[in-house]
Amino acid sequence: MKRSKWIWLVWAVVLLSYLMPYTLLSGVALWYGSFLFWMLAGLVIIALNVFITKDFEEHSND
Amino acid sequence: MTESLIWWSIAIYLLIAIGIAIMSRQGPSESMSGYFLGNRQMNGFVSALSYSATTYSAFMMVGLAGLTYAGGVGALGFEIIYFAGVSLVAVFGPKFWAVGKKFGYVTPSEMLGHRYNSKHVAMAVSIASCIFLIPYSAVQLAGVGYLLQGITDGAITFTTGVVLATVIAIFFSYIAGIRSVMWTDSLQAIMMIVASTLVAFLVIQGLGGFGALFDTLATEHPQSLTVPGPGLFSFVTFLGLTIPWFFFSISNPQVSQRLFMPSSLRSMRHMLIGFLVFGFIYTMVSVLWGFSALAAFPSLASADLATPTLLASEFVPPVLGVIVMIGIMAAAVSTIDSIMLTLASMVSRDVYANVKPNVSEKRQLLVGKFVVPVIALMALAFAELQLDLIAVLSVAASSGLVAMVPALIGAFYWKRGTGVGALVSVVGTSAFVLLMYATGNSLLGLPAGVWGIVVASVLFVGVSLMTKPHQASSDAFFTAIAEELGKKRRTTSDQATKAAAA
Repeated sequence: MKRSKWIWLVWAVVLLSYLMPYTLLSGVALWYGSFLFWMLAGLVIIALNVFITKDFEEHSND
Repeated sequence: MTESLIWWSIAIYLLIAIGIAIMSRQGPSESMSGYFLGNRQMNGFVSALSYSATTYSAFMMVGLAGLTYAGGVGALGFEIIYFAGVSLVAVFGPKFWAVGKKFGYVTPSEMLGHRYNSKHVAMAVSIASCIFLIPYSAVQLAGVGYLLQGITDGAITFTTGVVLATVIAIFFSYIAGIRSVMWTDSLQAIMMIVASTLVAFLVIQGLGGFGALFDTLATEHPQSLTVPGPGLFSFVTFLGLTIPWFFFSISNPQVSQRLFMPSSLRSMRHMLIGFLVFGFIYTMVSVLWGFSALAAFPSLASADLATPTLLASEFVPPVLGVIVMIGIMAAAVSTIDSIMLTLASMVSRDVYANVKPNVSEKRQLLVGKFVVPVIALMALAFAELQLDLIAVLSVAASSGLVAMVPALIGAFYWKRGTGVGALVSVVGTSAFVLLMYATGNSLLGLPAGVWGIVVASVLFVGVSLMTKPHQASSDAFFTAIAEELGKKRRTTSDQATKAAAA
């Protein structure tokens, strides 16, 4: 799979960031509820961006 | 916090910042791209810090902490969706960069005008950006005024705070254009991330640690840990807030212009990743401030007092409190000076140079430099007047700027998009959003934040299909992207050939 296609995984994380806290996690009033979910979503976004933009390093600037 | 401690700290901050701004100079900038884009030679580290400082205005430390205080964990969700939206840079960044390099664009509006072969598109995007972003800057300034007045118990008045921030913003942009802005931004970003993380750490320690903080929240304010929670973040409100912010990185010209500046795609990558790491820490810290204030001071009169109360509390040593206070002032300045420069470049490049054809680059730069303080003074005047209209325009800013999004996406992905389609979409959506905010911001139960992107897309696609695209300009645009970004493949295959030969 082309590296740039992984951006769809980012959009999937966004979708889950709307869905999960308003459904499954809406009753979990603890730190490991929506707080942890969104925090992990943020970390996953960083990791995906590091991966997706890896090719940028190879681009010649001439 | 004594008055003299505050003034001394401001003086020390200014001394260091001015020193950095002067050091950032690199000979006189005679060209538009020299002054407004740093000659497209900005390195990744400074770009990352400056991108962060520009994006995270004073809103973050005061506003997001306040939003968490009032609405609970939904505030974190709101920021994380914005944050995920910055991934659009990974998609659009190289394309912006490639055409910017090829055609010498200085502003995103110039790019749209050229792509759709329509001066009117460039002018409309520039004017709409001014309508939304000048009031937004005014509200930033007013925020600084209130904050300084609040924390110092009136020792620094509202007007002193606002005037001070305006003067500093003009000064930073005048020393070396975007270069001095980016370097002073970097100072602000580093100072702020260190000081604010320290505050969060001290406050959470003071409250008995992370576990104790969340135990208190779970027992005393359980709703703050869920959405919709205390009620602020109903799903519709959440959608209305997050959709426009998701597109922030391409819809707001003061950040999308940054995509023209990196010296290479490598620098752009460093800018993006650096920003994401910074933004993540800053987001978590701001949300934890809000939660800490809720646990320690549950009955504040207004959520906007969460940050000032926390900074003035016994958990934070006065010197650190002052550093953060100055950091918040500098955060507003770093947002405003970037907006001022971007708007000035748009007014001179896309409005002035289009109304009066054949103006030299030098003349455009002169007009741009003249416009910088005009925009600053307008923002200052609006901040002082504290008109309701300004507040409305400012709140409408994120929804209103979504008007550019379909035309931007279309520029890169839809050859069939037309100049008329882009123009109608930008003008129509801006007017629609303003009308929505003027009439209570609800249509069929949904806010402008949700409607904006729908209206803009329907107008752009609908009108484009009814009109004829300008084939030559779109072909040139797409070819330039393919050629510029194709260099990567050549380099990689060159390396492969060399390796094989070896």
